[in-house]
Amino acid sequence: MNLDWLDAFLIYGLFTVCIITGLALLLHLQLGLARIANFGVVGFFGIGMYTFGVLYVKVDWPFADPWQFFVCLLGGTLVAGLSGLLVGWLTADLNEDGVLVGTLGFATAVFILATTEKDITGGAQGMGGLGFPYDVGGVKANETLWLLIAAVVMAAILYYVWRVHRSPYGRLLVAVGANEPLARSLGKPTFRTKLWVFAVSSAGMGLLGAVYGVMERFLRPTNLGIDITLAAMVALVLGGSARVWGAVVGVVVTVGFFDIVVQSYLPLPREWYSQTIPVLREALFGAALIIVLMFRPVGILGDMRRDKLMRSMHGD
Amino acid sequence: MDLLSKALVIGLTEHAPLVLAAIGFALLYRLTGLMNVAYSETVTLGAYFGMWVNTTFGLNFYAVLLPAGVMAGLVSVATYLAIFRPAKRRNVGTLELVIISFGLSIFMRHGLQFVFGYPVRFYDVPPPDTLRVLGTGVSTFRLLALISVAVVSLALYWFIQKSRLGLQIRALASDEGLAQASGIRPLAVTVLIWFIAGMAGGLAGAFYGVGSSVVPLLGWRQFLFILLVVLVGGTRGLGGVIVVGIATGVALAAMTLQFGQAYYAQLALIAAFVVFLKVRSRRTAETGKV
Repeated sequence: MNLDWLDAFLIYGLFTVCIITGLALLLHLQLGLARIANFGVVGFFGIGMYTFGVLYVKVDWPFADPWQFFVCLLGGTLVAGLSGLLVGWLTADLNEDGVLVGTLGFATAVFILATTEKDITGGAQGMGGLGFPYDVGGVKANETLWLLIAAVVMAAILYYVWRVHRSPYGRLLVAVGANEPLARSLGKPTFRTKLWVFAVSSAGMGLLGAVYGVMERFLRPTNLGIDITLAAMVALVLGGSARVWGAVVGVVVTVGFFDIVVQSYLPLPREWYSQTIPVLREALFGAALIIVLMFRPVGILGDMRRDKLMRSMHGD
Repeated sequence: MDLLSKALVIGLTEHAPLVLAAIGFALLYRLTGLMNVAYSETVTLGAYFGMWVNTTFGLNFYAVLLPAGVMAGLVSVATYLAIFRPAKRRNVGTLELVIISFGLSIFMRHGLQFVFGYPVRFYDVPPPDTLRVLGTGVSTFRLLALISVAVVSLALYWFIQKSRLGLQIRALASDEGLAQASGIRPLAVTVLIWFIAGMAGGLAGAFYGVGSSVVPLLGWRQFLFILLVVLVGGTRGLGGVIVVGIATGVALAAMTLQFGQAYYAQLALIAAFVVFLKVRSRRTAETGKV
């Protein structure tokens, strides 16, 4: 198959779209359904990435790839999930302000640990030694295969979120998000529900961080900027935070536009790409959050569609 | 004892702007109930405005404080009139308002780079002398910064707690309808609060900026601590914010001296504050049940 059109920029752009879509879908469970505003997405993403990296590079495993790779991937996911459990426990019964502080604080803590623990993480200089758990011949072939694997991970998350939407658990999440005291008064375990959704989606964010780390090959604390959280949040809000496909549509029109169309197809001066475009990208993302929430808070796709059971009960 | 006196001197002089920034943030938080993430950019802009006036007109640092504070205050008012007031009129929810302020913060942080340029900027000030206070060397500049911060903080405290306008501000914060019925003009008082808060943030930014460098992330790096100080101390009014702000500065300095790494001090403080909030929320919940 002729893949000449698929250059390194395009592979990386598509890969970023897959990763941010996954993050935005998981954020949809937290923010869109349960109304937990996680401002520390990058913290869970980062702890998954660094745990995977440290386990893969620094630990002497008695078995080789692909088992070593899978065990480390599982480790990154689990640690992110446990962190989600801890942060969720600390913040689930606090109001928006407490959640903001707890999640931002966690992301800052991950950044600090990635910077200070030089012996483990390589500190500000970073940590190398990561690579693909296979070799199918050449850098491009390996990266293309990894892009496909990231797409499969994203599709699996999409399927999970889609299933949640159509399950009693999804309805419980919506009920907790819409009116927590009412849900609690009806005997629903609101604290446990919020804790569980937060932990599971944080574990997913950690998995995506590990997948991202493999493509990056070199982990630095600068990978843990607020831009990751922002990209996931703006995509979700713009696409429609109440809809499953909102995250997907949002990522395509935001990250897809900047990291694929602008990066690969617009004839802009090369010197703009180092600073002007990235700064403009973030500024416009910030502006998009304001404009959408002021004028169309339900995003492009609009409000939540009632599922089959609810439609049969209440009509459309 | 040596550690304590050192921590006291360093904490008070180095982290004095934190108290000022926290007072401004607490004013806004108390009046509007809004966690305004974009407040971090008010701090950043204060540093940039001060640097701009300082390097463009050749004024010394203390002469730039007033224009820097006023300009930051005006930007703060502009964000209220352009974004937060219309949002409130559209009945945007609390959670959405926090996300809007997050978007505004990102927009301003990156937008200001198109105005002031990308490179790191510095104030053009002469190197300060060093004085010994309780056996610890402190630059005259930091000492003067502390005095200025103390004067401004106390003036703000007096203004809010004792003056007639301050009374109106507090009345509006506690019950808008009642305040309006008593003849208080909500728009004028609200604009005044946004201006004072912006001014306090801008001044804090100028002090932060002159002590190191002026970068787009200047305010954001302090934001979490401002937030923590206000959430923990804010329940006891402005006095609580000032006390917790000072204690935070001294604790940060003491732990930095102890651990030899500022980052570890920040980590310990973040963990301690979040656990404190959790414990307090549990206690409040229990009281509620009773």
